[in-house]
Amino acid sequence: MATARNVIAALMCAAAVVGSPAVVFAQSPTFGVGHAPKPEELKAIDIEVTPDGKGLIHGSGTAAAGKEVYTRRCETCHGPTGQEGPQDVLAGGQGSLTTSRPQKTVGSYWPYATTLWDYINRAMPFDHPSTMMPDEVYATTAYVLFLNGIVGEHDVLNETTLPQIKMPNRDGFTSDPRPDVGASPKKRSQHQ
Amino acid sequence: MTREETSKYTDLMPDGTARQFTFDMEPKSVITRPSGGDTLAGAGRYEITGIAWSGRGTIARVEITVDGGATWVPAELQTPVLPRAHTRFQWPWTWDGREAMIASRCTDDTGYTQPPLADLIKVRGVNSQYHNNGIQVWKVAADGKITNGNRA
Repeated sequence: MATARNVIAALMCAAAVVGSPAVVFAQSPTFGVGHAPKPEELKAIDIEVTPDGKGLIHGSGTAAAGKEVYTRRCETCHGPTGQEGPQDVLAGGQGSLTTSRPQKTVGSYWPYATTLWDYINRAMPFDHPSTMMPDEVYATTAYVLFLNGIVGEHDVLNETTLPQIKMPNRDGFTSDPRPDVGASPKKRSQHQ
Repeated sequence: MTREETSKYTDLMPDGTARQFTFDMEPKSVITRPSGGDTLAGAGRYEITGIAWSGRGTIARVEITVDGGATWVPAELQTPVLPRAHTRFQWPWTWDGREAMIASRCTDDTGYTQPPLADLIKVRGVNSQYHNNGIQVWKVAADGKITNGNRA
């Protein structure tokens, strides 16, 4: 009979083996399941979009076209002009970041236009995320930017023009300066 | 870059700029007993206990005040004390039955000491919510009721 004490002893032996020099980890155990993902498998689930436009899918749209999509699929949560809610306020808020009631909207806060495309593409509309076609995503992105006065009604957004947009708050972000409060002779310990 | 990396998990400063990629969890501690919502039965002996942690290293010491920060005494740390892990502390308190402001503050092995909330607000304002590692004060009223002393 495997007593609890024997089981614990066996586990401790296993821990000792795992805990021996780092060379043990050079070849990770496979556990006999799964396989290393193939490049095409990674590509199929990789939807990352970077500020320079890498990862954007081919397509195009204008605010004029996006108005229809917005009215049908976005307005209920974000309001007719993007300022009414009840969910995240998308437009307005310029000049509010230094006040006691800052409004962090796409126009007042977001640093990259590509992030708007990425978020609509992956997460909107809330009840049917990732169901919009690329042209619809470009058009809806254009309409939200139009509501913020960043693009014109007929400006064509595509994988080339979208990353070229300079958002109003593009330069509003800084890197982490901490520790900024609290005495700290050494910046970091060795436990990183 | 995602919405979370830009518009959500960024820390808005009073001057309108925002800090981005602020991953460090600076030292923080809080007294969990007695704490807000508790009522002490009356003057007498109580063990003050709570937890401290630091995302930068190991908790080196925790101090307790029962007079709103005028004087501090070292608490005992419960072992094992491990890096980036919750560390329990305790200290025996004899309550005299008068109003008291109790709080803990911790220091990690980088030498950083948890600051008063007011010091954080002075630098960062009130619109950066994610890294509030200020000292948490509990107000013990003469009738034993305990409330948030940071709002007192």
